[in-house]
Amino acid sequence: MKFRFAHESIEINAGLLIGLTLLVISIGGLVEIVPLFYIDETIEEVEGVRPYTPLEQAGRDIYVREGCYTCHSQMIRPFRDELLRYGHYSLAAESQYDHPFQWGSKRTGPDLARVGEKYSNEWHVQHLEAPRSVVPESIMPNYPWLSETALNTSDIEGKLRALKMVGVPYSDTDEEYQANVERFGEEAAKMLDIHSAEKNLIAQAQAGNYDGDRSNLTEMDAMVAYLQLLGTLVDFSKYDEGYFAEFR
Amino acid sequence: MAHEAVAADSQYNYDIIKRFAVMALVWGILGMFAGTYIAAELAFPFLNFDTPAITFGRLRPVHTTLVIFGFGGSALFATSYYVVQRTCQTPLSSNMLAGFTFWGWQASVLLGVLGYVNGYTQGREYAEFVWPIDLLITVTWVAYFYVYVTTLMRRSQPHIYVANWFYMSFILATAILHIVNNLAVPVSMFSLQSYSAFSGVQDAMTQWWYGHNAVGFFLTAAFLGMMYYFVPKQAGRPVYSYRLSIVHFWALAFLYMWVGAHHLHWTALPDWTSSLAATFSILLLMPSWGGMINGIMTLSGAWDKLRTDPIMLFLITSLAFYGMSTFEGPMMSLKSVNALSHYTDWTIGHVHSGTLGWVAMISFGSFYHMIPRLWDTRLWSKKLVYTHFWLATIGIVLYITAMWISGIGQGLMLRAFDDYGNLAYTFIESVSFMHVPLVTRMLGGIFFVAGILIMAFNVFMTIRTAKREQVEIEAKIAAKMAKVGA
Amino acid sequence: MPAWLQWMTSMEYSKPIALLIFFFTFIGILVYVFTGKKRKQRLESYKYIPFADDDVSDTEDEQGKSS
Repeated sequence: MKFRFAHESIEINAGLLIGLTLLVISIGGLVEIVPLFYIDETIEEVEGVRPYTPLEQAGRDIYVREGCYTCHSQMIRPFRDELLRYGHYSLAAESQYDHPFQWGSKRTGPDLARVGEKYSNEWHVQHLEAPRSVVPESIMPNYPWLSETALNTSDIEGKLRALKMVGVPYSDTDEEYQANVERFGEEAAKMLDIHSAEKNLIAQAQAGNYDGDRSNLTEMDAMVAYLQLLGTLVDFSKYDEGYFAEFR
Repeated sequence: MAHEAVAADSQYNYDIIKRFAVMALVWGILGMFAGTYIAAELAFPFLNFDTPAITFGRLRPVHTTLVIFGFGGSALFATSYYVVQRTCQTPLSSNMLAGFTFWGWQASVLLGVLGYVNGYTQGREYAEFVWPIDLLITVTWVAYFYVYVTTLMRRSQPHIYVANWFYMSFILATAILHIVNNLAVPVSMFSLQSYSAFSGVQDAMTQWWYGHNAVGFFLTAAFLGMMYYFVPKQAGRPVYSYRLSIVHFWALAFLYMWVGAHHLHWTALPDWTSSLAATFSILLLMPSWGGMINGIMTLSGAWDKLRTDPIMLFLITSLAFYGMSTFEGPMMSLKSVNALSHYTDWTIGHVHSGTLGWVAMISFGSFYHMIPRLWDTRLWSKKLVYTHFWLATIGIVLYITAMWISGIGQGLMLRAFDDYGNLAYTFIESVSFMHVPLVTRMLGGIFFVAGILIMAFNVFMTIRTAKREQVEIEAKIAAKMAKVGA
Repeated sequence: MPAWLQWMTSMEYSKPIALLIFFFTFIGILVYVFTGKKRKQRLESYKYIPFADDDVSDTEDEQGKSS
């Protein structure tokens, strides 16, 4: 078959038009996305980052459910004002176990990437139930139902299994458990064991007493546990100032 | 001649277009109302009423889904089926599959928003649909693609008109984006919850590659297809330059896919990615403006039409807003500007100058042109079209101005330092400052909703009149037949 | 990862590459579209397609050209 280049053949051939359009629209995405999966520099080497414990993951799911990301970011940028206001800029490694990522796109409220341990559990509970009782000018909705709703723990094993399938190293076998002990330490590795997920979840909630009421396990427990963890895993005093800039 | 036109019309499947058009208005009203309500919640937080289903976080995806997929999507289905039939002069290849796209799409939108208010979401902006709905959308989209392509292949002349190229690229791009961005593993077969296949940086890049191209292909390329058909038709003169439209198409299709990462400036995404995206964002200005000029110049030599034709006013104003927001966009993709604008209301304002000014206005204009033709009648009131136009325009101007003030204001406050190098303002001080702009934005929204309500009334009356006329004609024919029979 | 892809990800090359790719494609399309009288006539004739199935009321003034 003789082929002569002519735009005309595109214009009159629906198949060719579709093919070329597909080609043209694919290039940009491929060049920008594919390398991110291969380049080592995309995610820094950093100590301390571990997958979420069952309770924290349950809290994160509530964070996603309530659409917190529509008003709060979890991505501090490398500017002086953000350093003073929120802390060290966010690292790629800190969200490497986030499915989905919750960097957000809008700060109707402040960034939450390092909100952990800045306020007490009591403050968080009070603030979530009635934000204006602690910050009078706040425009955040009240979330009173978090303290009133019992946390559903029955599906936590399934959740961890699904997360494992997308690459989060929760352990199912002894081998995987040992690997986790080496990687994250024994204490953390125990929390990442799928088989004792529900038990661990309840134990952590009991020990942490996040909602100030040991008698029940509520969504507030999980939510506060998650918030208190945010941004606390990496100890920045261990690294030189210039270290993280190399990965940008 | 008139008779012939009617005969030609009756070959086309107008029924499916009518249904999509009516649903576009229904979703439009609901979605814009939801938008105005959440705007009010930000100004007056007591409106959340401590009720999970209507808190801002759950209602915001309801707003975006209803206006983008409900209103925008249905408007695109309607106009693309209209344009492909009329430019190819052939009826749709399959009425059954076209009917399936209608039910599939409406069910997706409805189930999606019911899910959000009950807390079922994927937590990805503009892709909040839970996984079973994602599957339904995929099936619907494949049917759409099939109907569209097979109809194109039945066309009566060799050349495919450029409007169809834009619609085609929209269908293809949306398919790719939807599938890749929604790759996820469900918690179980019977759970609505799922976890995205990617995490952190990769997830962010995939999401914004999706997010920005939803803007690029869903809200731009497809509506450009609308523009390339309805602007020339309403003006009664062909598009300014067909060759420019070819250049416009290839440049736009190529460039858009690169720019998503400009949503991730200064984040943990590697710098080369977002810088590349910023470069392409600047380049994108050229095809965008090429297209805008092509549309506006279609009216060259007939500018007086703007004085007498409110539909033309809608179409040309939409192109002006398109030009404005495609200038603002590349500017905001510059890293230095983005450092200030990102995370603030400036972004929200920019999006709405695109969605209200360009997407909604061109859809309104196209609908005012198309609806009387679908029902074979005239618009019930031209005056109300003018009223709608002014309400919409005032609404947009209020909205954008308020968001500029609140966004730039907050951006400046948050980076201000006092004489000792400490932060000059706390975060909450910037929130207090935003109260007045947020109330103004809500007013802008009320204007815009008032406009579409007037449109819906006008369309309702148009259809009712058309149906009455139809009944009268049928009665006459019946009477004649009875006479002949007797 | 292939070497050329590695090369592309370096900061210092991304902008020139973007420019080059865009520039040559763009010039190619421009040259094709805007050269040749015959091509111009052919391409511009397509803009009347939307008017090919006109109902009378639409465009009295364009009727002559449209068919």
